[in-house]
Amino acid sequence: MLHYESAVREPLINGTKDYHQVTEDIISPIEKKPGKLWWIALGFSLTMLLFGVWSVFWEVYFGIGVWGENRTVGWAWDITNFVWWVGIGHAGTLISAILLLFRQGWRTGVNRAAEAMTIFAVLCAGQFPVWHMGRVWLAFFILPYPNSRGPLWVNFNSPLLWDVFAVSTYLTVSILFWYSGLIPDVATLRDRAKKKFAKFFYGLCSFGWRGTAKEWQRLESLGLLLAGLSTPLVLSVHSVVSMDFATSVIPGWHETIFPPYFVAGAIFSGFAMVQTLLIITRKILHLEDYVTLGHIEAMNKIIMLTGGIVAMAYITELFIAWYSNVVYEQGAFWWRILGPYWWAYIILITCNVASPQLFWFKKLRRNIPFTFFMSIVVNIGMWFERFVIIVLSLYHDYMPSAWVYYSPRWPELGFYIGTFGLFFTCYLLFAKYFPVIAVWEIRSVLKTSGESYKQKMAALEQQTTEEFIQEVQHQHALTAH
Amino acid sequence: MSEKKYWKGLEELYNTPSYQKTVRNEFPEKLPFGEEVDKLMQAKTPRRDFLKYLGFSITAATIAASCEIQVRKVIPYVNKPVDITPGVPNYYASTYVQDGDYCPVVVKTRDGRPIKIEGNTSSSITKGGTSAVVQASVLSLYDTARLRYPMIQGKEATWEELDKAVVEGLRNLGGLPIVLLTSTLMSPATEQLIQEFAAKYPNTKHVTYDAISYSGLLLANEACYGKRAIPSYHFENAQAIVGLGADFLGTWLSPVEFANQYAQTRKIKGKKANISRHIQFESYLSLTGANADYRYTHRPSQLPAIVLNLYNAVALALGKPALPNVPTLQDDQLQKGIQRAAKLLAAHPGQALVVCGSNDPRIQIVVNGLNEMLGAAGKTIDWNAPVNYRKGIDSDMQQLVADMEAGKIGALLIYGANPAYDYYDAARFAEALKKVKLTLSFNDHHDETTVLCQYVAPDNHYLESWGDAEPKAGYYSFIQPTIFPLFKTRAFQESLLSFMGETPDWHAYLMKYWEPKLGGLVSWEEALQNGVIEPKQVTLAGLPFKGDVQAAATQLAAEKPQSGELELVLYEKVAIRNGRPANNPWLQEMPDPISKCTWDNYICVSPALAWKLGISINRFNENDLNRPVAKLTAAGKEITLPVLVLPGMPQDVVAVAVGYGRSQDVGKAAGGVGKNVYPWAYFNNTTQTFHYYQPAVTLTLTGETYPLAITQTHNSFEGRPIILETTQQQYNQDPGEATREQREERERYGGDQYATEGTLYPNLYDFPGLKWGMSIDLNSCIGCGACTIACQAENNVAVVGKDQVLAHHEMHWIRIDRYFSGDPENPQVVFQPMLCQQCDNAPCENVCPVAATTHSDEGLNQMIYNRCIGTRYCMNNCPYKVRRFNWRDWQGATSFGQIKDTGDMNSDLTRMVLNPDVTVRTRGVMEKCSFCVQRLQDAKLAAKKAGRPLMDGEAVTACQQACPTQAIVFGNVHDSGAAISQVRAENKETRLYYVLDDLHTLPNVNYLVKVVNKDPNDFYVEPVQHVLGK
Repeated sequence: MLHYESAVREPLINGTKDYHQVTEDIISPIEKKPGKLWWIALGFSLTMLLFGVWSVFWEVYFGIGVWGENRTVGWAWDITNFVWWVGIGHAGTLISAILLLFRQGWRTGVNRAAEAMTIFAVLCAGQFPVWHMGRVWLAFFILPYPNSRGPLWVNFNSPLLWDVFAVSTYLTVSILFWYSGLIPDVATLRDRAKKKFAKFFYGLCSFGWRGTAKEWQRLESLGLLLAGLSTPLVLSVHSVVSMDFATSVIPGWHETIFPPYFVAGAIFSGFAMVQTLLIITRKILHLEDYVTLGHIEAMNKIIMLTGGIVAMAYITELFIAWYSNVVYEQGAFWWRILGPYWWAYIILITCNVASPQLFWFKKLRRNIPFTFFMSIVVNIGMWFERFVIIVLSLYHDYMPSAWVYYSPRWPELGFYIGTFGLFFTCYLLFAKYFPVIAVWEIRSVLKTSGESYKQKMAALEQQTTEEFIQEVQHQHALTAH
Repeated sequence: MSEKKYWKGLEELYNTPSYQKTVRNEFPEKLPFGEEVDKLMQAKTPRRDFLKYLGFSITAATIAASCEIQVRKVIPYVNKPVDITPGVPNYYASTYVQDGDYCPVVVKTRDGRPIKIEGNTSSSITKGGTSAVVQASVLSLYDTARLRYPMIQGKEATWEELDKAVVEGLRNLGGLPIVLLTSTLMSPATEQLIQEFAAKYPNTKHVTYDAISYSGLLLANEACYGKRAIPSYHFENAQAIVGLGADFLGTWLSPVEFANQYAQTRKIKGKKANISRHIQFESYLSLTGANADYRYTHRPSQLPAIVLNLYNAVALALGKPALPNVPTLQDDQLQKGIQRAAKLLAAHPGQALVVCGSNDPRIQIVVNGLNEMLGAAGKTIDWNAPVNYRKGIDSDMQQLVADMEAGKIGALLIYGANPAYDYYDAARFAEALKKVKLTLSFNDHHDETTVLCQYVAPDNHYLESWGDAEPKAGYYSFIQPTIFPLFKTRAFQESLLSFMGETPDWHAYLMKYWEPKLGGLVSWEEALQNGVIEPKQVTLAGLPFKGDVQAAATQLAAEKPQSGELELVLYEKVAIRNGRPANNPWLQEMPDPISKCTWDNYICVSPALAWKLGISINRFNENDLNRPVAKLTAAGKEITLPVLVLPGMPQDVVAVAVGYGRSQDVGKAAGGVGKNVYPWAYFNNTTQTFHYYQPAVTLTLTGETYPLAITQTHNSFEGRPIILETTQQQYNQDPGEATREQREERERYGGDQYATEGTLYPNLYDFPGLKWGMSIDLNSCIGCGACTIACQAENNVAVVGKDQVLAHHEMHWIRIDRYFSGDPENPQVVFQPMLCQQCDNAPCENVCPVAATTHSDEGLNQMIYNRCIGTRYCMNNCPYKVRRFNWRDWQGATSFGQIKDTGDMNSDLTRMVLNPDVTVRTRGVMEKCSFCVQRLQDAKLAAKKAGRPLMDGEAVTACQQACPTQAIVFGNVHDSGAAISQVRAENKETRLYYVLDDLHTLPNVNYLVKVVNKDPNDFYVEPVQHVLGK
């Protein structure tokens, strides 16, 4: 009775499940030997990763000059990829923090995978600002550490320094959040483990979790606290990243709307990435009952909303360029749309503005292949958004004499591919050895939103309001004893 | 004394048993040696042995390690050489002389090695100006491809062996003549020596051959004035200047001198401008044409008709007799141009000058007649001081080659000339050379001619040489060595002396020659110190004119010029000139002032012709440096070269630069770059001179592409307030018009308080002492690029090579932006030197995460290389795009050892050119113009040591020093008497502006508006869109 939730709401867990069944469904793939497909995928990811390492080695050995960047376009794929990866991470935090605070039950099905994705994406993102440095061996100069060089300190005015703080804070909090949520499930794994090493390993990882009431209470408090900490981070990290551009003087960068524009874009691309990952994961690990069409539709709605926000931002940019009457601003956008890189802008508009409109159709929102396709399209679009902002603003800025074109060279491509390798290697290892769905959180909503439980609630809805209230009060009184 | 008891504590006072025990025990706690102590004592290896082993192993390791270390000896001077203090530069006056090009210089040496060339301000000819070629000449001293020893039949020999063999050879020529083949020489002492040589070997002839010949002018002057010479030109006295295919600011005769004179007529003082008007007729877009007020293009074959028509139009205007039978010009534009030029010239008698680059003596006779008619003699043309810049007579060369072929030449001694490369029929010359009994080259490179010679007696570099020069009658200039010869080379003159059997002491010879003339050793030393001797009184004069203009005109008119659909012009580039300095990486990488292309030659075609060929350069592909390749066929020869679409080219003419396509033996930088087009020059039997054009060529695209390393691909400044220009008429009506918008904008935000009032963040820096500022006059800048190379030499700016220029990784700290406006077929051109603007509110400074770029209290935007980690954020945020990143290890400054070497720039030899005052940047760090901070520090130190404040003009930047037109003024803006302060005060309400001022970057570099002497109607021309917008 206390688990009553309106039957109008779609169930979050399909099929007839009990707690044990939930555990079985989610945990048992971990205990099996990895399948052929997993090995192929891991091999492929490792190959990409190795190619990335080779590309970075090449770049560090010979210098940034092996990239296509030049005297006018000083940042290109490196920072595009950085912003893109950081943006992708945002969905995870949004799901785990903001949706938790908003009491969105459906987050339980997707939060674990999304949080893992956040961490791996931020790890990938972090590679770019580090390896794009001309003298990466002196990267530690960017940290404000006490040193013997007199009063030599970092420049706190530089948004690049803010990035260091923002991203490292973000990574730390995300890891804490993700790992603290993992502990009860890892304990489950430990308890079920039969092999010695697995027992030892999961035992170590579970920090001695016993599942006492006090532990649960602390865990939930911690979850709430971290959610409170992470919520501003969702907004701040990409705001700070956007300030790399917004605080500059370059037309096309120097825009006050950048912080919200970037945050919306980040969530937009982040959810698309969650879709990509989960659609594959649920299929492979047979978790369709836990990641339901309802989940997918909910996320598609968010994609639509944030897509609308970025579209609004694009229109605002153009309007302000016209309205401001600033020749450089107008020039930047003229060249952005009608210059030699016109096709990048077309891709951006097609992927980010035009195609998400198809989600107005419920049928398409609930269509899995279409959603999967769209999730890829949105991420291509969002990559191009960053590329357009970074490269297409720089390549035709103030000085027409310095205008150039930019084309990437193989080590840049390789570096990007390498981060995919890193991302998928991490994700595959995670999906194999840890539960991709938070078992304990699913259990917590099972009786409210499980399909089989919901069916039982149909009877309750036949009652009159008075009867219903009375019964609820009665139940509360019982539990109070 | 009382027995007073002092106690430390109660324990002592009462003297408890436990206290007694404690006192007795010296170490109250148990010592931390446990059983180990006992174990140690019983160890098998006792302490002594341990120490032995320790001692042995340390000694052994020390010895072993020290064997590996290379011993580098730092040897102090036992006797300090006179005048050399480590770390303190010495300056020596000298003279750059090459193929008749002349520039008096001051050579900066550090620790005994020359590292920088500066102009000699004592010279009234160049007034301290230099050119890019002169600036770069210091690098050729350290050219790894220089010949290092004498050779016989391609094998190393000693000088004794060579002398013996050559003398024997010269004595056994069987009566056949010896010919000394040189490029133009202007050394009086050398000429005397050659005469003495001729006396010793009576059958000796001296033939002068110039790769780019001025025979036509010499012969015409002989016919007109009885002197086979070229007069001094005085552009500074001209108000009306007409150039007929003469690139006098870039390559013609004496560009440094002319640029300076020309700029004097273009300077604006005060609110009334009265600058010269310059009209240029030409067949390709030259540097001079780019600076002209009016420019008309024509086919090379139309030049005679233009000259004749111009003559007649001027004659008509002045009421003088006209020439009969002058062919009419079909071209409306040219007609208009001739009318305009004639009107201009006729309105300025005695203040007019016409110069013509043609090598046809008949055309030059008509031009001489024209100048006479305009009263140029004694005003803008001076026959009192004829110049020795070019002396070659082409028919002499023709005769020589014919004689060689006929086996009539016994010995050919070649000095400075390289006919196997730059003679139009080089194959014929090479063949003929085989028939000469004795061939010898004095050239300092393994050039195309030298490799064919039996004997090679390499000359010194001019920085290793003694010498003299007489650029003009009565003007003398001296060359003194600034370093001991690096290799086993010997001055050309010493070789001659040796062959004559005399003591090979050229220095003594030179002193013997000059001392009596100058009146003693003191005067000689004084002359060396000053570098130049000039007449005290200068009077300009003409000569009686006895040229037969009529006859020349009749001949020209009677000739029906041959002309195909397309004509070809060969031209010299400002950097590579006739090809002599081709192995200089600095010059190869210097963007051509007009095309902005480096490391290549190419076919220049007009946009209209490109359109016809199916090439369209538009906004979508202008950045694509892979340019179409075309086959150029003329006179039975063909060549494939990339096509560069260049606004300002005539529709029916294509132009290709000479000086490229050098052989691999010349050096790494020159070898295989571009193609040689000298074979398309030809000898005209009627005029007896070389001509540098082809009247009928065909051009077909091959369908291939070829990458051209162009540094600037967008040609318009898009009407942005980067360039401000106006016309003289408008300037005189309203001098402040061009800068009004900017001044009003400043007025709105505090006027003089703009720096603090125009921003939300007014906490700017304090500049308590000096504050540096620079002013660049766009009206004086001709875009020659001397500053770019001077900066490169001064600041150790790296050469990156063609592939890296293609990637837009070039490193120049000061670049010349070249913008076109108006009609693409004949655009107006503006040049703008662009360097770090040293902003007081610099966008680059606040974005650096590690504070590697900061502001000094003298207003300098500083780069701290050691701190830079290379995020490139500053480069992105620089609105002027002047920051340069070390994309690769250009100069071997990183431990990784992955050097991106170009043209041997990093050999031990070439690195001797590096300026020790400037850090060689490692890869991965940002760099940019520093306002030559090392020079500023130097000047400040000198003032400090002298105990006085810094005076204006003591701190000079390299670009400012090199500029032939004094377009750059630099100094302390806090000194109200300084030139920079005066320029700014004078132009405050008129021409002074800052680039992108509305960004509130507060630059310390200002520009002065360009004022063009054009009618406003002709100045504002709408671009013709059909040509560019395919």
